[in-house]
Amino acid sequence: MESLDRIKGRFPSMLKDVPSTNDNEAVVELADKTQLRKIVAEAKKYFDLLFMLMVVDRPPKTFEMNYVLSSYSKKDLLTIRVNIDRDEAEIDSIAGIFTSAEWEEREAYDLFGIDFRHHPDQRRILLPEDWPGHPLRKDFEVTEEVKNWTGLDMKF
Amino acid sequence: MAEEHGSNEFSYPGMSEILFMKAEKFIETVMNWGRSRSLWPLTFGTKCCAMEMIPFGATKVDADRMGTLFVGDSPRQADLILCSGTISKKMARRLLNAYEQMPHPKYVIAVGACNVSGGLFHDSYNTIEGIDRIIPTDVFIPGCPPRPEMFMDAVIVLQKLIRENKIKRYQNGVFG
Repeated sequence: MESLDRIKGRFPSMLKDVPSTNDNEAVVELADKTQLRKIVAEAKKYFDLLFMLMVVDRPPKTFEMNYVLSSYSKKDLLTIRVNIDRDEAEIDSIAGIFTSAEWEEREAYDLFGIDFRHHPDQRRILLPEDWPGHPLRKDFEVTEEVKNWTGLDMKF
Repeated sequence: MAEEHGSNEFSYPGMSEILFMKAEKFIETVMNWGRSRSLWPLTFGTKCCAMEMIPFGATKVDADRMGTLFVGDSPRQADLILCSGTISKKMARRLLNAYEQMPHPKYVIAVGACNVSGGLFHDSYNTIEGIDRIIPTDVFIPGCPPRPEMFMDAVIVLQKLIRENKIKRYQNGVFG
């Protein structure tokens, strides 16, 4: 992929290739999570939109963040993969670069409890504000207490 | 003299209570008859069961002939909530908000499996398993989704309940 080679040329020895089956789809792994904003800002020159932000919970240690970028003209998909620590899950927000990331990051915060630094409006997006816990984490258990929680102060 | 003046053949102890009770009973019957024939619904449809509300109001089933007019769809003019679809925990507050805006007397019909018991999503962390956990529900319609004829059947059942004064929270003139 031509655009990926240019990004790699700009930031040598920072991105590591992960084997991919399709020519138009490349997966790269970024070891240093503090460099994410720089890489994404560079990638924005070649890619039009943030296709999706995907979080995979890999207990006991890591959250795997997948930023999938897409290009309309070249029909390329680039996945930037960052592993972050599960216990202190925080990463820089890229909402300043791709605006659509704002809601994607709110969803990741809502369901996984990942803290995005410098996010403009980090609130829950799907669940109620006073919901206890982050339900898509692997160690979250759906107990009777969680099922019966309504958040409403009422008895019947 | 005053006592003689006050008592006549039409007044005896307890008469006013009996008269009042009879009048109340009569008024209640007439009002329930009227209420049962003008149930204006609020269509609180959050999912696919709301699609079945369209044929319910359309020509073939025709809710209008039972007095169930789809007027305005505002909680402030509604007597009846036709509540359908999965109610998530965030939506529960909106449902309660809409319910509390309705004037008394208000009736609730729960439409579809998701609404009656949680349905497909019964063991999820974010589903209310049946809206009778939140608001008092009068009639349940099962089905995924129910046919429009079942909506009509539910309305007829609810009319019968109202006319026979069987809805407990509105008996004895107590609203709440």
